[in-house]
Amino acid sequence: MEPSDPAKFDRRKFLQRTLVAAGSAVALAPRLIGADANDSSAPAAVPIPVPATPAEAETSSVYQTFSPDEAAFVEAMVNLMCPADALTPNGVDCGLALFIDRQLAGGFGKGERLYRRGPWRHGPAEFGYQLPLSPEDFFKNGLAAADAASRRLHGRNFADLDPATGDRFLQAVAEGQVSDERLPLAEWFNELVYPLFNQACFADPLYGGNKDKVFWKMIGYPGLPAVNGLNMAKYRGKPFPGAAAPKSIEDFS
Amino acid sequence: MVIVGGGLSAGMVARQLTAKGIEVLVLENGGDVRNSAAAKLPTQRDELRWATHTGLMQDGAAETYTWRHNRTDPSLAMRRLAVFLPGSGVGGAGNHWNGQAFRWEEYDTELRTRMETRYGKSSIPANMPIRDWGVSYSELEPYYDLFERLFGISGKAGNLRGKIMPGGNPFEAPRQNEFPQRPLEETEIGLIFRSAADKFGYKSFLSPAANSPDAYTNPDGMKLGACQYCGHCDRFICEAEAKATPSVLLYPLLARRPSFELRKFCHVIRIEHDAAGGQVRAVEYLDLLTGETFRQPADVVVLAAFTLSNTKLLLTSGIGRPYDAAANAGVVGRNFCYQTNAAISVYLPDRWLNPFLASGSTVTLIEDFDDDNFDHTGLGFLGGGFIAAGSGGGRPIAARGVPPGTPRWGTRWKQANADWYAHAGSVGFQGSSYPHRENFLDLDPDYRDAYGQPLLRVTFDMRENELRMAKYCAGKMVEIARAMGAARLGGLPEVTANFDTRGYQSTHITGGTIMGRDPATSVVSSRLQHWDAENLFVVGASVFAHNSGHNPTELVATLALRLGDDLVRYVGRPGRLA
Repeated sequence: MEPSDPAKFDRRKFLQRTLVAAGSAVALAPRLIGADANDSSAPAAVPIPVPATPAEAETSSVYQTFSPDEAAFVEAMVNLMCPADALTPNGVDCGLALFIDRQLAGGFGKGERLYRRGPWRHGPAEFGYQLPLSPEDFFKNGLAAADAASRRLHGRNFADLDPATGDRFLQAVAEGQVSDERLPLAEWFNELVYPLFNQACFADPLYGGNKDKVFWKMIGYPGLPAVNGLNMAKYRGKPFPGAAAPKSIEDFS
Repeated sequence: MVIVGGGLSAGMVARQLTAKGIEVLVLENGGDVRNSAAAKLPTQRDELRWATHTGLMQDGAAETYTWRHNRTDPSLAMRRLAVFLPGSGVGGAGNHWNGQAFRWEEYDTELRTRMETRYGKSSIPANMPIRDWGVSYSELEPYYDLFERLFGISGKAGNLRGKIMPGGNPFEAPRQNEFPQRPLEETEIGLIFRSAADKFGYKSFLSPAANSPDAYTNPDGMKLGACQYCGHCDRFICEAEAKATPSVLLYPLLARRPSFELRKFCHVIRIEHDAAGGQVRAVEYLDLLTGETFRQPADVVVLAAFTLSNTKLLLTSGIGRPYDAAANAGVVGRNFCYQTNAAISVYLPDRWLNPFLASGSTVTLIEDFDDDNFDHTGLGFLGGGFIAAGSGGGRPIAARGVPPGTPRWGTRWKQANADWYAHAGSVGFQGSSYPHRENFLDLDPDYRDAYGQPLLRVTFDMRENELRMAKYCAGKMVEIARAMGAARLGGLPEVTANFDTRGYQSTHITGGTIMGRDPATSVVSSRLQHWDAENLFVVGASVFAHNSGHNPTELVATLALRLGDDLVRYVGRPGRLA
């Protein structure tokens, strides 16, 4: 997160200059570093698709991409977002951290299906993600930025916050009330972290989350039917018995 | 004859031509998905892989699109394709559609005449270039009918040879024949919607569907299985082959015909145009398996790729005058239209909605506010759409509703999901999108695809007509939602400017190479023949001069079948088709 040569780069003065020159708080540093030139810079490397390895997800709980610090952040976060209660075990025991690790270590995290050529421009939020970072790198840089904000605001890393403070902190990040000098933290949380959390809960257990189909049981999703042709009329408007014992891909394999 | 793109349109054109022994070569840039993991149990039922990660769609890393709201804005690349999802592989988007199979209204292809006749010439804003397409419904009817028999469409006639039929859609264009298959089973929420709509006197009916209610054999001897209401239609391949698609009903048939050749993994880069001679001569393509570029000579070329690819190929090949919005001149790229959608959630704690018991077309709807089915006098807009309720499958990553005010995580979030999953549904509106002078397509000057060509640039926003139309129709939708007896409703829907490309809205995108009678305002004739190259034809939703509230697929297939017959005539006697 630091400039490559801090001795030659006084960021605070630089940002002050920026604000005067641009006359608007929305002018972010990258524009001024030259990215507003319209001619295309060299295209970013085309991402190499790395297949996800769902088989390993089931047999190993060792993280593939998270460092110990990153794992501590993510585990604290999923346990906060999914506390152990009458509905499910805690997030780690539901496999949520493992799911996120596997997604980031696999094709999704490496930028599969993501267009990564220049020019790089800032624009309205309606056009979505516009950074050259792979999702894996964006996730990790955002995590470091959030941790730095946690230290700044609360004097300790996110993983060491008590649950109530941690919850308020995540709410503030989601609502755009926690800022980082360079990285868009609200976008990081709302458009990368939160979708991964949601997928970790409700995707097929094949990918490491939703362990024992716990979230499917919780909502009454019966999982994967082979056939429902007769059920369509038989259970219209009535409780569906299959909802109590959902079937996953592995159950059919 | 060379056809660019191996999807629904290409399959329909090739069916007509190869039946007469005419040699057809289809160049398709993807592979065959019919026996892949996408089409087999249990891997077919993988929401994360096929729906969330859009595993069957065009790879946006290789080719995406750029977008801007106005032509004075800089464009940005849509770095993750989400708002619409072009298909990939043999059969194209026709493989993973939901199956909703509508005929358009009788007046749709003569829209300008309809509006001028009903409301006067001054009712059409100067910036709304709606057109007559140069073809009438009665010319299309036999091809609609043929398509419905080929794809085994299920439904109940609402207008049989001009007679309004009970149980069907009374706004339906008159049909010569009843649907070849009975309607699907209806959902619980569809029935609740139906009884609420009936209180207002609206005419509810079940969507016509390409999801086969029973085993079916079509006139070509091709077979469909029976729908199992598994909830995995859109974005998925049907492993039961119960959803009518090109890869089940068309390409296996074509493969048996000696005059047909399909070349997969061939990405077409350019059409060679002899402008002086008014002809195209060849197609240039990159063979993705060898990395070599080939020149394929052709007597006739048919562009039958995805809507946006048809426009892009004409622009990169320099065929036809690009549209210039500032001057309101030129043709290629004009009349780009989208779809105007809104929805509201309904929460019915005492009703078991079981959203997972569904097919992609188990949708109950009304067309009382569709297109020009109602009097627009004094309303200040043109167009409209259908209002509908149903389920697409209740897949749990994407399709869970929790009431407004629910926290986004924690025990209360989990409890709300547990409480509402089986009891939450939505009422939706799918509206027309009429052309606007400032909504158009051109080549992006800055961004390029993996093949070294410019990305196509979309300039589009919701303009005043669509904003007013959506406000009026969403109001009608909310009235019905309230009458459904919902304990709670979701946030009130609002269609706004600053079009948002981050989430899926619809793949019903149209225009760019529109058909018409006037070479000054259309790219192809009403016979889909290019004005500047007599042996070049374009087919697909890119020829639509506007988008209606109806799903485009059935009209796309209908125009392709008609073109196939026209091309049989053309091969016998080349020249400008009347």
